[in-house]
Amino acid sequence: MKTRGEQRVFIFTFLAPALFLFTIFVAVPSVRALGYSLRQWDGLSTPKWVGLKNFITLFKDSDLFLVAFQHNLFLMFVGGLLTLALSLFFAAILHRRVRGASLFRVAFFFPNVISSVAIALLWVLLYSTTSFGVINSLLLHAQQILAQMGVTWPRIDLPFPFVDSKYVIYSIIPMMVWTATGFYMVLFLAAMENIPETFYEAAKLDGASEFAQFRHITFPLIREVFTVGVVFLVIGSLKFFDAIWVMENQQPTSDSHVLATVLYQKVFTEYNVGYGSAVAVLLFILVFFATLVTLRLSRKEALEY
Amino acid sequence: MLHRLGRAALYAILAVWLIAVVFPLLWVFMNSIRSSQEIFENPFGIPWLIVGSPHADNAGIPAPWAAAKQNFVAAWVKSNFSSFFYNSVIVTGVSLAGILAISAMAAYVIAKFPFRGNKAVFLYFISGMMIPAQLVLVPLFFQFTEMSRFLTRLLSPLGLEVQLHDSLSGLIILYIALSLPFTILVLTGFFKSLPGALREAGIIDGCTEYGVFRHIMLPLSKPGLVTAAIFNFLGLWNEYLFALVFVNASAKKTLPLGLASVSIQAQYKTDFGLMFAGLVIVMVPTLLVYILLQRQLTRGITLGALKG
Repeated sequence: MKTRGEQRVFIFTFLAPALFLFTIFVAVPSVRALGYSLRQWDGLSTPKWVGLKNFITLFKDSDLFLVAFQHNLFLMFVGGLLTLALSLFFAAILHRRVRGASLFRVAFFFPNVISSVAIALLWVLLYSTTSFGVINSLLLHAQQILAQMGVTWPRIDLPFPFVDSKYVIYSIIPMMVWTATGFYMVLFLAAMENIPETFYEAAKLDGASEFAQFRHITFPLIREVFTVGVVFLVIGSLKFFDAIWVMENQQPTSDSHVLATVLYQKVFTEYNVGYGSAVAVLLFILVFFATLVTLRLSRKEALEY
Repeated sequence: MLHRLGRAALYAILAVWLIAVVFPLLWVFMNSIRSSQEIFENPFGIPWLIVGSPHADNAGIPAPWAAAKQNFVAAWVKSNFSSFFYNSVIVTGVSLAGILAISAMAAYVIAKFPFRGNKAVFLYFISGMMIPAQLVLVPLFFQFTEMSRFLTRLLSPLGLEVQLHDSLSGLIILYIALSLPFTILVLTGFFKSLPGALREAGIIDGCTEYGVFRHIMLPLSKPGLVTAAIFNFLGLWNEYLFALVFVNASAKKTLPLGLASVSIQAQYKTDFGLMFAGLVIVMVPTLLVYILLQRQLTRGITLGALKG
């Protein structure tokens, strides 16, 4: 019996630090966030219970919350679809034994290890309207070459202010795709490498084209991992914060706000804790259901082999 | 013929993406050794430091070597990147040690001891994966104020004053707590794959439970610990949102925070050499870790996704 007791003590002492920290700094604040969202509070005076008023205000706030949410959806659909398409394409190519595949794999992934702040600033510099702005310089060259061939379309005044508040949400898409493609490519590629080679040999004997092989063998068999990728992208675009905050010099406008920047601004510059917390709670609900729905869909269709 | 053309096209697309990904990086490194004047005059060519400055006979323009040195001195000394770097090393290092120790202990017990409530404890931790950092951010901000006040009162006989805001320890505690769900998930999977007979053998040989964990299980779980360490290192070294909310004092800023605030001034003063040098200082450590450990890193992604 003594050893039983000793084992219990052992189990408890090993679990205690994690349980303590997780409860105090994750579980408790999560519940408190819900409480804040039902109150009106400036962070100092006594909080006042207002029920669902914050949420109602939020949905009436067409200049801020709804616009910001649209921006998140824009990043999710446009950025997400482009990322998925490109990363699947690259993974499929590298999977079929291209020479130098490992070089491409290692190089394409690398933007993922760089700080999001550094990436945002790097793109501010790439987009710069001055003489060193890489992207404007390239566009200027392209325009000149087109002009020499007699094409004067599209008429854009260069240099174009890509990181201006009005355009920054669009300019973030290339940055997002540039960063994320390598990650999803590695993810999908790893799943593809688990597919037995014999499947492809059989398909080749049947005369299936490369595209048909992808459509009928590769894609169905990586569907589960593909779904995980979709979940990551959905969550990532709902939580998007760093790049907007940095590119907008910490002062986003209603042209550039996303949910997380609205949350930050409401709480830490306008001291409207209730409103900010309501945004946080909605963010959590969205992340939760997006994850649940996508995983549910994938479970049903997962293929075994 | 068509097949060969198609193959050439595929290589061309891969090459274009390779250039798109690698060129900006090289560009940052090259511009970090140019003076601001050179950045405007010669933004895409080979740096004057290597090919020689066209203004070599003009004494009013600093020599390329001096200009390069000046960027890094301006960043490291004058703009306090040395302090940001030190803070980032401390915060990341201590958090990492804490995360791995605490998660390994919890994960080992969850994986190897079928005590009552085992599943519930595991689910409790894993549910944290569903919680976006933004949800806990605001309550934690106020909780830190309350806790600082409470702990100061508690420790007042010792004359200690506790301040969790604007302190590296506060940030470290948060980083540890928020990283637990992911790390416990990864390590529990890993400990489950180790044979349970090892523990019994250790016990029979007279090891205590602590001894088994410390001398048998922990060394065997090294690959899992390495994977978890790499992911947490990258996440913590680059973390921005929590540092932004919990640190205001310039002396306590971590690298991403410091880079963001220095860059605002640098753009205002059009000191782009400084900005590029700052980018290099932030990027080099993670790039080095990636180059050295990229195999473990990509294997970790597979592990997480296939199991997740």
